[in-house]
Amino acid sequence: MAIQAAGTRGAFDASFWRASLKPARNREVGVWLAGTYIPARFAFGARRARGSGLRSLLFALECALGIVAVILVAAFAHWSGWLLPVAVVLYLLIVVPTALLCGFWQAVIVSLSAVVVHSYLTSRQLQFNPAADPANSVTLVVFVLVALVVSRLSARVTGHAKEAESWGGQMHDLYEFTRRTLQMNLHVEPGPQLAELVHEIFALEAVAVFDADLHDVYQAGLWDADPQEVAQNVYYFETSDDDPATGLGRRVVRLGSVPVGSLVVRGETSPLTNNAIASLIAITFDRYRAFANESRIETERRTEQLRATVLDSLAHAYKTPLTAIRAASTGLGEMGRLSPGQADLVALIDEQTDLLNDLTNRLLTTARLDAGEVAIHAVPVGVGSLIEEVVAGLRERLASMKVLIDLPDDDLVVCCDHQLMVMLLTQYVDNACKYSIFGTTVTIRVTHANAEAIFSVHSYGPVIPMSDRERIFDRYFRSSTYSNRAAGTGIGLSVAKRVALIHGGYVWVTSDEIEGTTFFAAIPAPALKRCS
Amino acid sequence: MSQPAIRILVVDDESAIRRALRPPLLELGFQVAEASRGEEALQLLRAGAYDAVLLDINMPGIGGIETLRRIRSFAPRLPILMLTVRDQEEDKVQALDLGADDYVTKPFSTRELIARIRSAVRRVRAPVRSEDAPIEIGEIRLEPVKRSVTKRGELVHLTRKEFDILHCLMIRAGRVVTYARLLTAVWGADCREEVEYLRTFVRQLRKKIEDDPSNPLYLLTDVYVGYRFADAQMFQDPDAALEEGLPARTPEIALEPAPEEAS
Repeated sequence: MAIQAAGTRGAFDASFWRASLKPARNREVGVWLAGTYIPARFAFGARRARGSGLRSLLFALECALGIVAVILVAAFAHWSGWLLPVAVVLYLLIVVPTALLCGFWQAVIVSLSAVVVHSYLTSRQLQFNPAADPANSVTLVVFVLVALVVSRLSARVTGHAKEAESWGGQMHDLYEFTRRTLQMNLHVEPGPQLAELVHEIFALEAVAVFDADLHDVYQAGLWDADPQEVAQNVYYFETSDDDPATGLGRRVVRLGSVPVGSLVVRGETSPLTNNAIASLIAITFDRYRAFANESRIETERRTEQLRATVLDSLAHAYKTPLTAIRAASTGLGEMGRLSPGQADLVALIDEQTDLLNDLTNRLLTTARLDAGEVAIHAVPVGVGSLIEEVVAGLRERLASMKVLIDLPDDDLVVCCDHQLMVMLLTQYVDNACKYSIFGTTVTIRVTHANAEAIFSVHSYGPVIPMSDRERIFDRYFRSSTYSNRAAGTGIGLSVAKRVALIHGGYVWVTSDEIEGTTFFAAIPAPALKRCS
Repeated sequence: MSQPAIRILVVDDESAIRRALRPPLLELGFQVAEASRGEEALQLLRAGAYDAVLLDINMPGIGGIETLRRIRSFAPRLPILMLTVRDQEEDKVQALDLGADDYVTKPFSTRELIARIRSAVRRVRAPVRSEDAPIEIGEIRLEPVKRSVTKRGELVHLTRKEFDILHCLMIRAGRVVTYARLLTAVWGADCREEVEYLRTFVRQLRKKIEDDPSNPLYLLTDVYVGYRFADAQMFQDPDAALEEGLPARTPEIALEPAPEEAS
């Protein structure tokens, strides 16, 4: 929440914060070690406000404070008449904290000043003779070396700590961004929200996000020129780079390897952060699509279910009147005493009732298939018995037809819902009967290839135009070549398709003047052989 | 007809269907009583004697299946025909397993319905015969004792299971035998789900006993429910069949008298 609290000043604060990581600024360490985030940022912000002159002044002040401390210690040691080794330990007590808190160069200046001050004070003592006492010189040199090494080490440690803090900050920002994108409202397009979030959280000067799917560029912050073109170019030319001169970072937003948009930012970020932002944007785009898809599917499903329910109840409501009509018309026939004309009319009623019943049954089946109410009850079924059953069911219709059953692999077994498969094949064979040219042969064939059983029904009839070959399996679609020739509703083939799909298979049709028309249904059939 | 009129109880909640059935049944010499619910049917059946019941499966109240169960508890041999609709295969199987004699699927033709009623009544009225009596239907003759089957006098070689299936179907000729019942009878209760097994054997059987296995005359499939061996009446003199109001290619039961009855 620190960033949000920073409000409109966020951009200013954070950009400085990152810039100020590079130069030495040891005083703030204490603040950082205290573990609080906001005070540190405000502290840096305040520092930036006073400019780089202040930094030099601070440097001088730190050095001066160190030197004053050294002079005081040296004077105290001199007055007390302490020996050099004791004084050196005291000097180290000043140099080490300086190195830790202020930096390497401050520590160097303080330690050199300690050597100078100490040499000055001792040189005023008559008994002190560096030439006569080389141990003192060695001690001083060792002190300088130790001070330098300690300063260097502590400066390095401080540097690492700063780096870690910088990463911590960036991780925090990314975490915040992730959290906010997860909470985003996915009912509306994500682009504008993403641009605002990136701008706010990463405290950038300007942000542009291009959503390739919706083909729209969303921007936040202040752009000198319209970023539309830049953002689109990044997407189209797939250029991901960072330009330190202009402060522009460009990223193609990819989902896997597929570009789905682009991100252009201006401001202080690291390339790695830009990459992470682009990835998070990609994920959000994907979530938005999935969410939209899911809502659409859910709506479709509900509509479909409602339609199916209506169809189902209609079909059931038709059954009773149909039964009464059929019982009555056939009853009339049974009672006899009808004139030939009356008998004809009664037969007509009977026939049409049959048709109506057939239609009702098909509607009922489609409705159930659509509503997903048909639970697939897959059992191993021999294709031979399947075909026999289909042919037996259509016996009356096939009585006047030539039918050839071609089963190269008589023992082929398919794991399928017996009832549904019979329905599919019945539809195919029934279709072939309806549309084939009188006197030609209808061939029912089952082959096995690539772990699929391919059922086909071939007949000679009108050619199905290429444009209709997909749509012929759609509900209520009737091919223009067919619609005037035979009774039909355009439901049967859609049922066939759904049955195949339910089994994980598929359907297609080939049709041509010479070869005739063949309807296919491929049903997965891993090498299953009858074991009996 | 020398036989007394057949008394039928029509049980269906739809008055239109009852109204449509009544005139032709009366015209053809049946006596008709009606009930609109299962409870009412049970009362009528307890009060009077009937030769057959037409029972709708879908009814308000206790429903057709429960009515059937209750009727069976006091009238085990009364012919009961269920009136069902398509997509109710499970109900059909359940009804058959509970002892229904047969079923007709709505919308049915009156001709078919009457044929089924007559066939069911005839079976009940037929003299009880021995399990071992030879059965002859059409050109097929099965002798349980010798475990032999002949067609037009020629021996048909059947495996043990094929014979068992054929025997099971032929002693119930004209009636549907559900898959589960047939499987249990031939393979035992453990195999009642193995319908594909059965299909394989039936295909083999058809190759042996049918002239045209893809257009069977004897071994008929009741889709999704079971198998039915053609009623002996189907192979009777067509004129007699017409007289009985049955399909042309029809009927008279040609059971040989059981050996003990013959003697």
